Amino acid sequence: MFSNFDFGVVFGSLPYLFGTGMVFTVTLTALAAGMGVVLGTLLAMARLSGVPGLKHVAKVYVELMRSLPLVLVIFWFYFLVPYIGAYLTGASRPIQVGAFSSALITFTLFEAAYFSEIMRAGIQSIPKGQTGAAYALGMTYAQTMITVVLPQAFRNMLPLLLTQTIVLFQDTSLVYVLSLTDFLGAASKVAQRDGRLVEMYLFAAVVYFAVCFSASFLVRRLQRRVAIIR
Amino acid sequence: MNYNWNWGIFFEPSPEGTGTYADMLLSGLVWTIATALSSWVIAFFLGSLVGVMRTLPSKAANAVGTAYVELFRNIPLLVQMFLWYFVLPEVLPQSWGNALKQLPNAPFYTGVVCLGFFTASRVAEQVRAGIQSLPRGQGLAGTAMGFTVYQTYRYVLLPNAYRVILPPMTSEFLNNLKNTSVALTIGLLELTARARSMQEFSFQVFEAFTAATILYVLINLFVIVLASLLERSVAVPGQR
Amino acid sequence: MTSTPMPAPTATTPVAPGSVAPSDSGLQSGPLTSPPPRIATGTPMIAIDNVSKWYGDFQVLTNCTTQVAKGEVVVVCGPSGSGKSTLIKCVNALEPIQKGQITVNDTKVVDKATDLPKLRSRVGMVFQHFELFPHLSITENLTVAQRKVLKRPAEEAKKKGMDLLARVGLSAHADKYPGQLSGGQQQRVAIARALAMNPVVMLFDEPTSALDPEMVGEVLDVMVELAKEGMTMMVVTHEMGFARKVADRVIFMDRGEIVEDARKEDFFGQPRSERAQQFLSKILQH
Repeated sequence: MFSNFDFGVVFGSLPYLFGTGMVFTVTLTALAAGMGVVLGTLLAMARLSGVPGLKHVAKVYVELMRSLPLVLVIFWFYFLVPYIGAYLTGASRPIQVGAFSSALITFTLFEAAYFSEIMRAGIQSIPKGQTGAAYALGMTYAQTMITVVLPQAFRNMLPLLLTQTIVLFQDTSLVYVLSLTDFLGAASKVAQRDGRLVEMYLFAAVVYFAVCFSASFLVRRLQRRVAIIR
Repeated sequence: MNYNWNWGIFFEPSPEGTGTYADMLLSGLVWTIATALSSWVIAFFLGSLVGVMRTLPSKAANAVGTAYVELFRNIPLLVQMFLWYFVLPEVLPQSWGNALKQLPNAPFYTGVVCLGFFTASRVAEQVRAGIQSLPRGQGLAGTAMGFTVYQTYRYVLLPNAYRVILPPMTSEFLNNLKNTSVALTIGLLELTARARSMQEFSFQVFEAFTAATILYVLINLFVIVLASLLERSVAVPGQR
Repeated sequence: MTSTPMPAPTATTPVAPGSVAPSDSGLQSGPLTSPPPRIATGTPMIAIDNVSKWYGDFQVLTNCTTQVAKGEVVVVCGPSGSGKSTLIKCVNALEPIQKGQITVNDTKVVDKATDLPKLRSRVGMVFQHFELFPHLSITENLTVAQRKVLKRPAEEAKKKGMDLLARVGLSAHADKYPGQLSGGQQQRVAIARALAMNPVVMLFDEPTSALDPEMVGEVLDVMVELAKEGMTMMVVTHEMGFARKVADRVIFMDRGEIVEDARKEDFFGQPRSERAQQFLSKILQH
């Protein structure tokens, strides 16, 4: 069946695929996940704050992001970020934003909505007595969140946060629509150049599968270990 | 900001010559909905089957179900889209492959099948969770009454499981709907693709994307309302 | 007692077991010398003045008024749902009130200008479900608020925590996590955690009702000891044995109202209200 396929093209392009493509994908995933969790946690706290304006803004933001396809959001920010940059810097024309920065901003803002839902559930899962005890000891809201609530919420939610990060790792392949050179983008470029679509896409699928399958396996093992002794 | 807003653009004729830009977006919306609904049918039935397999006592059924879920969950949807569209026709026997390549509306059929198989893996997980959330005695009671395994699932387990998982199934349905936009990479002219071509033709990028955004939000709201009506109408009196 | 601006009465300083405890409180048997109810000498430590509270339309507290004097031990009892837990949580503003005023150590609780964290840091509270922080070790549980709220240096906080842990007899468990201790042990740690803040008053919200019966004693022992040392205490509990032993006064609540507020001897001798009589007969039958 595969007799007239040439998998040699894969080996020849390995340095490009991993040295350029996979580095892009992993860097984008790690940075967007880190910043997304921080922003998502702030959004979750805002939604649970009970402060009228703040609460609603956070809710609308999260719900809006979650109702849009990622592809559309990628296009949105690709065109919007230069204008926002111009607005922020006071420039009269849209400013040039690098492809990587644009993608990073997009994925951070998009994934923050999903991370925020996870952190919201995590914060709500902490019994009310815990915050009561922290307040009773004289802690302020910030101290209560930082020393009591968030560490527990984060720990309880770690498996879900990591699973969402694996989803993010897969989602970054959609920068293909901006012709960026992430792992899939690199594979696609080689595929077009050498006319070897079958080999390159199959190889990409195998690599993604291997990475994501092992990562989710590790997350499942972690899940069994992090459960806090109560 | 030097951006020239022009909200009247929607009523100007599109360069495709078949109507206005608004018509163009609406035709995209129709394709989005058609793709979402068709693929959901596959996802629902295939996903239920796989989910049930993962709850059966048979080790083989379990293994097949697990393999299915892991395979489709751990490869990015976009890569799966390429596998169905570019790779499948090449690895099939030549006559089949050629037939596939000559299929009219190939992006639509490919998108439907790809999304159906992809979403099925997620539906399977929900169905499995739903069945496992039911008290164990339910299945035993079914067996004790002389039901076959099929009948136990059909009349006892699944009707209750589907009720339990209706809310997460609603979000899977919406995910599937949003994921239809990934099919623009294989040439499906759905809503996001149409907003993108409107932007390319007219340069009114923000009007085009705003319109698409509003349409997506509206479908979301519509589905959520529909789901809550469904939830109410199938609710069993006296439960929860 | 270093670096704390508020002059704490000597009676409230947690002193080592065996040192001299003031004799005007605790296990005193002479009814003639105990202060009459409600009229405490000097400024009361806690003054609850005409407090009402609603959850939506539902009134949980109705015009509650009472006082707790310095060094006094007051037990609050009543059937479940009577509002006693709610009332004690209002004292350190864990629950807001809609009407009335509460004053703790001359500080108004219902006042925008009040620094609530500061007030709470001087009011120790012990919860029904212990509420130790499960992600922190016992040592960290004892020191976290000392360091973050009172800004004590780590060394000092640790020494204070270890001293108190020794007092409740749990020194061996300093490096464990709450989930590794029994309920009784956790509650003793929770008492030590509250004492580590050098509180001027201690609030106990049903401290033994989530415990297995065989663990109730060890917690009550610590509380009795504390009462003997002259700590001002407000205790919501069903443990009438504890009340008989160390309480100065007993408050009986029902349906959000303070129905009876009497000296211990009077309350157990001849409660005036029928509801209190019924409650006592039910609870003392066994």
